[in-house]
Amino acid sequence: MTSSAVIFMVASWSFVLGLTAWSFSRIMKKG
Amino acid sequence: MTTGKTSNEAWGTRMGLILAMAGNAIGLGNFLRFPVQAASNGGGSFMITYFIALLLLGIPLMWIEWGIGRNGGRYRKGHIPGMFAAIWHHPIAKYLGVIGMVIPLVVMIYYTYIESWTLAFTVFSITGDYFGRASQAEMVSYLQSFQGIGDPATRVHSVWTPYAFFLVTLAINVWVISKGISGGVEKLARIGMPILFLFALVLAGVVLSLPAGPDGSSAWTGLNFIYNPDLSRIGDARVWLASAGQIFFTLSVGMGSLQAYASYLSTKDDIALNGIATAATNETAEVVLGGSIAIPAAVVFFGVSGAMAVAQSGSFNLGFATMPVVFQQLPMGQVLGAMWFGLLFFAGITSSVAMLTPVTAFFREEFGLRREPVCYALGFVTLVFGLMHIAWLEHGFLDEWDYWAGTFGLVVLAVTETIIFIWIFKPENAWHSIHQGADIQIPRVFKFVMTYVTPIYLLFILLWWGWQDALPLLRMEEVKPESVNYVLLSRGIIVLFAVVFAVLIRIAWKRNGYNDRAGFTEGAIQEKIQ
Repeated sequence: MTSSAVIFMVASWSFVLGLTAWSFSRIMKKG
Repeated sequence: MTTGKTSNEAWGTRMGLILAMAGNAIGLGNFLRFPVQAASNGGGSFMITYFIALLLLGIPLMWIEWGIGRNGGRYRKGHIPGMFAAIWHHPIAKYLGVIGMVIPLVVMIYYTYIESWTLAFTVFSITGDYFGRASQAEMVSYLQSFQGIGDPATRVHSVWTPYAFFLVTLAINVWVISKGISGGVEKLARIGMPILFLFALVLAGVVLSLPAGPDGSSAWTGLNFIYNPDLSRIGDARVWLASAGQIFFTLSVGMGSLQAYASYLSTKDDIALNGIATAATNETAEVVLGGSIAIPAAVVFFGVSGAMAVAQSGSFNLGFATMPVVFQQLPMGQVLGAMWFGLLFFAGITSSVAMLTPVTAFFREEFGLRREPVCYALGFVTLVFGLMHIAWLEHGFLDEWDYWAGTFGLVVLAVTETIIFIWIFKPENAWHSIHQGADIQIPRVFKFVMTYVTPIYLLFILLWWGWQDALPLLRMEEVKPESVNYVLLSRGIIVLFAVVFAVLIRIAWKRNGYNDRAGFTEGAIQEKIQ
């Protein structure tokens, strides 16, 4: 993979996984 | 003024609600359409425009639909005509809701048929029925044979095979929806979604660990193919429209089902955080898993140029012709094939049951009918019109419905609901409504986005698609002469559905004594989800 493709993939995955983790952690906290 | 009759249905648990909402959104498009769109539209450039569309179009629309749905639920309205009438006290409001009745019914009918292909190919994978057809051309021929199109002399299956799988798929759908929200839809989501994610994770793991293919391409070359940024494409309007279209399809907005699910919530329940959790789950399924299976696998076995040709030949060829060829070359290929088509089947069924929900709600709430008879009657309607799709697939019968209801119609409904909820209801009221019972404060910038950016974005898509696709399609410029009557019949049925729903809405309003100018009386609030 080219470094620019890696950057785009890592950024995309980080964004969606981060948003998922953040939203579910808030839900768990609220119960 | 009275409210319609309905039982006090509610979601059993918060996680059940989120899984069902995510199941509604996660469909065939996540695993077939997304990688094809990303690969064909500049890779990294597509991803930039995709995430911009997610933030400016998808997420705001998703909150708008949750808000409309829950507001309708206050008056025990789980269908779009009632939801619109609850917001806009004008006689025309309920008739604008006809779009929100026709779209889910029409899409559900043909989607169930496509879903039946995935069930059939799950069985064909387990039995190894297509094994031995080692090229894509042979698999395309096999798929067409199953669909009953192409040369009858090369037919592999009985002419009744697609009908049998359609009947089984329809029966499962009707059975699930007849069990109700917590007893059917939520249970399906709690079983189906973990299986879906498990299958997707296993398949992505298998694909990403494949050794390099004959021309030295690995799965990572496939990921490079999807993500390599061709920044020269960023100024291309088609890339922006492709990404906006993908966001639209993947979040299942403009369908009426999301609003119907949200109507079973009370104002004490959160929709802001639940909504974003649902959208995020869908995006994980799409970007992380959907992008890591089909295209990378195609690149390993057919090289980048072969995968590009596959991508350009469409999502269905990728799913039903290319992937079976790949599985035949892998150890435990029958199991992996069954997992792939099983994954698509679960993705499909959790979406199709959602589409039937608003139509079921209309008959139950406005005519006081019991759920089971309504479900069986709608199942019969789906059967009758579904059979037409099977019989006349090669005449473009399904393509017409897919465009007018499943593509163009979604944008029409989204524009209509955004104008009603944001501009007519007023942005302040809409914002307040979305935040009732909210566990998070949505950044205020989204109020501006919902008020101005999302509607303009939607109108732009509507005009562009109208100019580029709808007008040539309407004029039947590319329809074969022998298919013209089928296309006209296909369109006529959509118009018939619209007329029937408009008449039923009129009857329901008269029957229940609704006063358009006064609005509804608030119904019993359903019990809070745990």
